[in-house]
Amino acid sequence: MTTSPIRLLVVDDEEDLELLIRQKFRRRIRKGEFDFVFAHNGQEALERLAENPDIHLVLSDINMPVMDGLALLSKLEDTNPDVQAVIVSAYGDMENIRTAMNRGAFDFVTKPINFEDLEITIEKTLNHIHALEAAQEARDRLVVLKRELDVAQQVQMSALPKDLPSRETHEVQALMIPAREVGGDFYDFFPLSDELLGLVIADVSGKGIPAALFTLMTRTLLKGTARDSPSPADCLSRVNDLLAEDNETCIFITLFYGVFDLRDGSFRYSNGGHNPPRLVRGDSQVEELPATENLVLGIAPGHEYHNGEVRLAPGDALFLYTDGITEAQNSAYEEFGEERLDAKLASLGQVAAHDIITMVVDEVHAFTGDAPQSDDITCVAMRFAAPLSSPIIDGT
Amino acid sequence: MTNENALSVQTERTEKAVVVCPVGRVDGSNVGVLESAIKEQLDAGEQTLVFDFEGLNYISSAGLRVLLVTARRTQAEGGKALFCGLAEHIAHVFEISGFTNILTICQNRSEALAAL
Repeated sequence: MTTSPIRLLVVDDEEDLELLIRQKFRRRIRKGEFDFVFAHNGQEALERLAENPDIHLVLSDINMPVMDGLALLSKLEDTNPDVQAVIVSAYGDMENIRTAMNRGAFDFVTKPINFEDLEITIEKTLNHIHALEAAQEARDRLVVLKRELDVAQQVQMSALPKDLPSRETHEVQALMIPAREVGGDFYDFFPLSDELLGLVIADVSGKGIPAALFTLMTRTLLKGTARDSPSPADCLSRVNDLLAEDNETCIFITLFYGVFDLRDGSFRYSNGGHNPPRLVRGDSQVEELPATENLVLGIAPGHEYHNGEVRLAPGDALFLYTDGITEAQNSAYEEFGEERLDAKLASLGQVAAHDIITMVVDEVHAFTGDAPQSDDITCVAMRFAAPLSSPIIDGT
Repeated sequence: MTNENALSVQTERTEKAVVVCPVGRVDGSNVGVLESAIKEQLDAGEQTLVFDFEGLNYISSAGLRVLLVTARRTQAEGGKALFCGLAEHIAHVFEISGFTNILTICQNRSEALAAL
């Protein structure tokens, strides 16, 4: 492998230094390791640097006509911040050496030049330059990654449905607070017809990009399946089969999907291993939706899911949530837990869906205090206001 | 009391199985510790693992995924993975997710070892 020589700039008004450098470093020059460029004062040095952007190391004398080494150092700080300078000074000239170091010189050697020492100094400076470059490169890569994560977050957040306007029959609100840039939760709600409303909440194992890809895939599969079958269990069985195909990594997703019938308040659902949602009755009784066939999706192909059904009366509300709520911890590592959740839901009274969410999440935050959020917090609330009135049929 | 948020994984060889004891909390940030402790045993040719969760305070879904992979791998190699000593709230997580239906759960270590 051939690499291009490292180019160094030597700045000195003494002509014979050029000969001496070429002679002392002849082997490294011949091997193609070093290539020296020469200048006789600071002004010329800046010109050489402008012509040779690949120069990152400057070896400079201090006393020179036109522009001396100290002035050159000051200029370099502004014009070539990525150039490192090694100063050559008279032995014992501490005052100039200190000034040079304070102006950003990386190191110094003294005259008469000990070329063995100079070579070590050059190597040391080059190592420092390489380390700086590597750090800069790593930082650039991080910036790119961060930007991609930001985009991933935007994609993920924009994949979530916008809040539906509240209607005479019902209103739906949802909230997701990711713990990291890209989370593993999602929710969805979509009308299947004028009378039927689909509600989804899910939590994938793990977080980050792999989890985000899995949630997006699941969301798309479910939405597609939901149009074909009115049975939530049927949809879960189909989506599970598709997800479980070749899923070597055992990434899984807990998913709850229900279909609400606006005509009579019936809610048919199937629960794939997700925290059971709550039904908050108009009289503030809180009920856990009875379990169906509880297995997460993605790991057992052929698994058959089952439906459950409840009926909401006008004034009742549904609350769907992920374990980011119940497993939220305070600084003493206590979990918020289902009891606190149920107590809060029971205390709310007849409030709008939006207020259910705000009040529960406020309660969770009040509980966790300063403790960092470790999991995504996601919830969906739906309040049933009144059944869809059937079209008036003119009997005549 | 040590930091409840930390995780240490102890393994213990018994006649019938290697007992893996995660102590503390398994979440996305430290699940690799559990994963490599398990991998070390499986790569050494151990096919039967008993997970004793007596000292486990919390396990996130990232940790559960590793347990599923382990159960699947031991099974594929003709071995078995058993889980015991689940605290009430962890048993609850296993219950909700349906893992009680697909993983072998025992009360405690002696029951798990006797079941082999």
